Formats: sequence, structure tokens, C-alpha cells
Amino acid sequence: MKLLLKIWRQQNSETEGKIVDYMLDDVSPDMSFLEMLDVLNEKLIHKGEEPVAFDHDCREGICGACSLMINGVPHGPEKATTTCQLHMRKFTDGQEIVIEPWRAAPFPVIKDLVVDRGSFDRIIQKGGFISASTGSAQDGNTILVSKIDADASMDAAACIGCGACVAACKNGSASLFVAAKLSHLGLLPQGQPERSTRVLAMVMQMDEEGFGSCTNTYDCEAACPKGISVKNIARMNRDYLKASLFGV
Amino acid sequence: MLGFLRSTILSKIVMAVSGAALVGFLIAHLTGNLLVFAGPEKINAYGQGLRDLGPLLWVLRIGLLVAVALHIISSIFLADKNRTARPVSYSKKKSIQSTIASRTMLFSGITILTFVAYHLLHYTYGIVQPEFYHGEYMLHDGRTVHDIYSMMIHGFTNPFITVSYVLAVTFVCMHLNHAIASAFQTLGFNHPKYNAKIKMFGVGLSAILWVGYLSIPAGIMAGVVKLIEGAH
Repeated sequence: MKLLLKIWRQQNSETEGKIVDYMLDDVSPDMSFLEMLDVLNEKLIHKGEEPVAFDHDCREGICGACSLMINGVPHGPEKATTTCQLHMRKFTDGQEIVIEPWRAAPFPVIKDLVVDRGSFDRIIQKGGFISASTGSAQDGNTILVSKIDADASMDAAACIGCGACVAACKNGSASLFVAAKLSHLGLLPQGQPERSTRVLAMVMQMDEEGFGSCTNTYDCEAACPKGISVKNIARMNRDYLKASLFGV
Repeated sequence: MLGFLRSTILSKIVMAVSGAALVGFLIAHLTGNLLVFAGPEKINAYGQGLRDLGPLLWVLRIGLLVAVALHIISSIFLADKNRTARPVSYSKKKSIQSTIASRTMLFSGITILTFVAYHLLHYTYGIVQPEFYHGEYMLHDGRTVHDIYSMMIHGFTNPFITVSYVLAVTFVCMHLNHAIASAFQTLGFNHPKYNAKIKMFGVGLSAILWVGYLSIPAGIMAGVVKLIEGAH
């Protein structure tokens, strides 16, 4: 396959960036998207040019490190798939591919396609956990969880925190991410004691980080590589309203 | 009082609740004005009936103004927050499953607000078409009242007024097409069993309002609703 890549290049967070064109020949349709970028980088290094910086880690679709806005869609055209699990057979020979970093004020570009997602970590630090006394582990099955709640909680827990929801949202809202973390904990018995304080603290941090608001366009749900549902956002709104009205 | 602006979620909730009040107004406004099809006696008596509410009318008006104000204040805050959340835009961006209506709420909202101002200048303050504003009509019980009936007919025989009205009503219904179902989500109501019904309710209600509001100029242009000889 032959591709025309239009890639965002930016030296660091201080400098201005721009789209640079690269022609890439001999791309195998069996390569993953990141392997295709590896091949490009090999060529750039060989020519003595700076390789394209991009985030990646497990390359198994489970860590949430990879990102990339590919032709205007987070993680590319394949539904419920991370960039690392996207294969070049989903593209056509001679296709032009625009590759950009996530765009949001709380996700500043560090270099090329790498953005700082520390804002997500700061939201988690505000309440994305349960406080438990240390000691030996509790006996199994002493806290019963209904199958329905366990399933809903697990669906939310599938969130890998990649930020595709923010990237896809026209408002740069992190609602889907925050809602997934809240549902993940808030649906389980262990998450109940801090349920109200958690929603207030995490939403406040989300607002302070400078993410936009949710206008229910649902592009986040469609972009999410883990298929997290927007029903979690409704649950967050409900919990937030309840905590605001009736206290914690 | 404006403390809700500290939180995006509370602002959205204020948006949803004030929006619901405005939808309520749209339904009431349409129901009343459809009386134009029942002839001058009915609609003019209805208009007088509203005026006769006295203080209660002012309670309704102030309630409506508060809803409009809250809706606008929260939209300004949220729009600003949303704009600053993405300082650098994408060179290529596709919408995946969002509707045009959902992506253009600010634009449709501003268009509606502009038309509402014009509509008030026309029918409430009589600044547009002042020549038709002071018409009087004698009810069967002998009372002389403001002639809304002929004012509406004169309004909708003017092509500019009719076209701007049709466009504005279309924007209102496009706005509602997203807004109604969206308000349920904002207020935390999302359930797989009811989601399809909520969506249908939103689309259905906006479609009914669209047909209802446009039936008035349509009826006037088709001559179903016409000026009564001798009365003015």
C-alpha cells in the first residue's frame, strides 16, 4: 500500500506546530496503525530526521496509552477499536490520512502527537478510588453484588482513560470519562460510603481542569474504543443533583 | 442566586428545567393562537381573557422572563466554557453519531432569540406594522377588545413577516428536536426501556409544534382564515 500521511509536527509545548506531508510506500495491510508509524519513523531516522512522537504502550488495546485523531475520528474509522488494534487493511491504497493529536485545553501537546493527559489523573485523585482499611483481604462472598450491578459496573470499568471521548466531543467535555469512573465505583457496595462526595469532588475537578460541558451529542460514545455508554453520564447527573440537593 | 454557574452539570440542569418551562409556553401559545381558525370572536375573546387575568398574567410573564433569562445566562456560560476547552481546532474533524440539530444549538438558539424580539415588537408592542395594531373588535357581549384576528391576517399577508416566521419556527423545532430528549438525559433520566420512547416524544412534539405553528400562516394564505367584511 502507498499512503500520503499528513501528520501534526510540533517541537514542544512552547512552539507552534504544523501539518507535514509524508509519502510512505510498501505499507503491508497486515500492519497495525502504530506499526505503520514505526516504519515511517525508521525511515525518518535513517534519513537523519526527527521521528514522529506518539504515545503507545501495551499495543493490545487495554492500556489506554495510544491516542491519535485519524482522519477526524479518535482511534480511526474502526468502531470500538484502539489505534494500536487498527489495521492498515481498513484503509485503501493511495489514501490520504490526516493524523493529529487530541485537541483540548486540558490536554496540552507535549510533542508532535503526544498530549499530557495528567488532567485525567488529577480527576481520579479527587475520588476515583474507595477508601478501605488495610489488613487482610475480606472473605469472598461476604459482600453480595447483584449480577445486574456487577455487569453495569464492569461495563463502566472497561474505560481505559485514553481521552477519545474528550477528543471527539465538540465541547472537549470529559463527561464520559468521569461518568465511567463514577459508575464503576458507585454501582458497587464498596463504593457507596463515598458516592456523594466522590461525584461532587470529581465533577468539580473536571470543571476546574477546563473541560467543556456535555451537550448530549453522544459523539463520545461512538468514539469510545471500549463502547462506554452515555447512560453513565445520566447516572452522574443524577448522583450530582442528588448530592447537591440533599448534601453528602 | 447564580451559584449554579460554578458547575457545568448544575448549569445544564438549569438549562433543562428552564427549557422545559419554555416548551410549556410554546404549547400554550400555540393552543391559544390556533383559535384563529375558530374565527375573530373566539381568538379576540381569548386575548381579552388573558388580559383579564390581571396580576396572574404578570406572574406568568415574570415566570417566563425568568426562564428565558436563566436559559440564556446558562447558555452563555456553557458556550464560553466549551469554546475555551478547545483552543486549537482540528484540521480534519468528523462527527460520528451526533445530529446537526445537536451541534447547532447555540446558532438555532440565537436565531430564535432574534426572532422572538422581532415578534414581540410586532404583536406585543405594535412597532412593526403599527397601522394594524390598534384595530378594535366588538364581541357578542358588546365589549370592544383588541382585534388580534385581523392583526394576524395582516401580518401573514406580508411576505417578509411570513418567511421570517416560517424560518424561525423551523429553527425552534430543530432546537427542540435535540433539546427535549437531551433534557431527559441532563436530568439523569436514561433507561434502555424508555430511551426510544423519549426520543420519539422529542421528535414527535417538535414535529407537532412545527405543523401547528405553520398551519396559521398556511391557513391565512390559503384563505381559510380571512378578514370579515365590515369588521376591522
